[in-house]
Amino acid sequence: MRAAAVSKYVAFARVATALARRDRGELYGRMLFFAVILGVFSSLWRVVAEAGMPIAADPKLLVWYLATTEWIILSAPPVHTDVQESIRRGDVVCRIGRPVSYVGAAFAEALGLLAVRAPLLAATAWACAFAFTGWIPPLAPLAWTLPFGFAGAALITAMCLWIGLLAFWLEDVSPVFWVVQKLLFVFGGLMLPIELYPRAMQVAAAWTPFPAMLAGPASFVLRQSGAGWLTLAVHQAAWGAAAALAVWWAFRRARATLTINGG
Amino acid sequence: MRATPAVVITDLCKAFHVRRPRAGGFAARLQDFVRPHTQTVTAVDRLSFSIAPGERVAFVGPNGAGKSTTLKMLAGILQPDAGEVRVLGLEPSRQRHELAFRVGTVFGQRSQLWYQLPPRDTFALLGRVYEIAAAEHRRRLDALTAAFGLGAILDTPVRQLSLGERMRCEIAASLLHAPRILFLDEPTIGLDVSAKAVIRELLHTESASHGVTLLLTSHDTADIERVCERVIVIHRGRLLWDGAIADLRRRYLTTKRITVWSEAERLDLQLPGVRVLSSDAYRTELEVALDVASVGQVIDAALAQSAVRDLAVEDAPLDAVIRALYAEAEARRSET
Repeated sequence: MRAAAVSKYVAFARVATALARRDRGELYGRMLFFAVILGVFSSLWRVVAEAGMPIAADPKLLVWYLATTEWIILSAPPVHTDVQESIRRGDVVCRIGRPVSYVGAAFAEALGLLAVRAPLLAATAWACAFAFTGWIPPLAPLAWTLPFGFAGAALITAMCLWIGLLAFWLEDVSPVFWVVQKLLFVFGGLMLPIELYPRAMQVAAAWTPFPAMLAGPASFVLRQSGAGWLTLAVHQAAWGAAAALAVWWAFRRARATLTINGG
Repeated sequence: MRATPAVVITDLCKAFHVRRPRAGGFAARLQDFVRPHTQTVTAVDRLSFSIAPGERVAFVGPNGAGKSTTLKMLAGILQPDAGEVRVLGLEPSRQRHELAFRVGTVFGQRSQLWYQLPPRDTFALLGRVYEIAAAEHRRRLDALTAAFGLGAILDTPVRQLSLGERMRCEIAASLLHAPRILFLDEPTIGLDVSAKAVIRELLHTESASHGVTLLLTSHDTADIERVCERVIVIHRGRLLWDGAIADLRRRYLTTKRITVWSEAERLDLQLPGVRVLSSDAYRTELEVALDVASVGQVIDAALAQSAVRDLAVEDAPLDAVIRALYAEAEARRSET
């Protein structure tokens, strides 16, 4: 790809970072929400541990695991709502007419938002996890979670972009989003590491992209090492390619049959 | 050597397949889900015209006539079902990327500006998108800022701008990459009278001074009269009229409006082909059917009754002319 072409997408990402910096209220809201849910779940794991439930994991590690998965989920921008609105309002026509890929620009914008959110929410996640457990895992596994967590959030963003493009055919993509999000929560291992699931659930989860988004990056905290990074990198790259293909195909189909409100 | 036409359209067609839900309860909904019922709506029907470089052309038609669809096919956003489209020698649906560098689009009801950010940020982004070198971008932005009076609003978030200010920014944004053609879809919609006048003046000046070809759709005939010299009228996707605005008036102007301010309190102008629209003390407003009576006959009749203090002869508004055109097309359609 030519440098000029790359610089276009960088420009979209920069505009989005400028937007994120202006719209700080939403970010602070997410940080507050983060603190609340981590507080609730750290109390829950403590109670579960005290009750002697057969959970084969240290409650402190589970809180740090949850902090990591929630960090990834909350960092990923809900790009499907923006894309849906753009299609509903017809603004998409202004963007399609430019010498730049519409989906590429939308993804670059989302990555720009992600670049602002992710570091702040990571700091919030770690600060809250430390506050609720009084313990910090070794820094090396925490450092592994950062790039892979960012990549996981980028994968979620690509999935949301694909969902948003369904607005070319569906009146409302929210039901699709809710279903996919719940699958992500369950098969991605949002609350619990997938290793603690029943065998059948583990096998089912392995066939989905969701562990590469959440459980994979968060598992560095459980293992307290960077082991398995190459496998995860391969999984993320493969699912990233699949997501790119799905987005490209959906947009290509949409362009061919495009019907825009008001002509 | 003749210059390449800015736009050439030959037998252009476009139809949309619109879902029509069946009436009824659950069974009908289930049937709709399994086998949706669609209706084909013809938006553009064998449309042909061409536009020379630098021309300012109004593209007129009632709602649903196919104006916006045609503009979107010209910009490469929609793909034609049949026919040929050439814009600056390029085929928009296949060479959209290349064409995008040479055309600008303004959709009055859509925005290309980032709502929360100042226009300057959008302009910077568009500079990258259109691969404008930094020095050239500065020069263009300075020129447009001066021409469009954007100096005071360049750093104000778009959400704080008035609609008129926003539209000035929208047009400036679409001209930033110095396009050879500007497609404008209702650029003055929702604006107040003075903002409309400013936009019309800016468009006319920009086109006249830089040779930018304009293709403008609008329901406001003042946009057409102030900005364009040629009008293309379509109805139900088909061409109704293509020619100079003056010719359109001459062809379809069947009446004139005469207002007489007389010394006498009342005038009695009961002439064939003359209809009294209003009659107040010392003031009479008449409509003259030009195929029955002439303006001169009416003036002579008024002078025969009283001295005339003042007199105004006006054409029927362009609105009425275009309405007459639509009515004629509808009548022809119902005959066939």
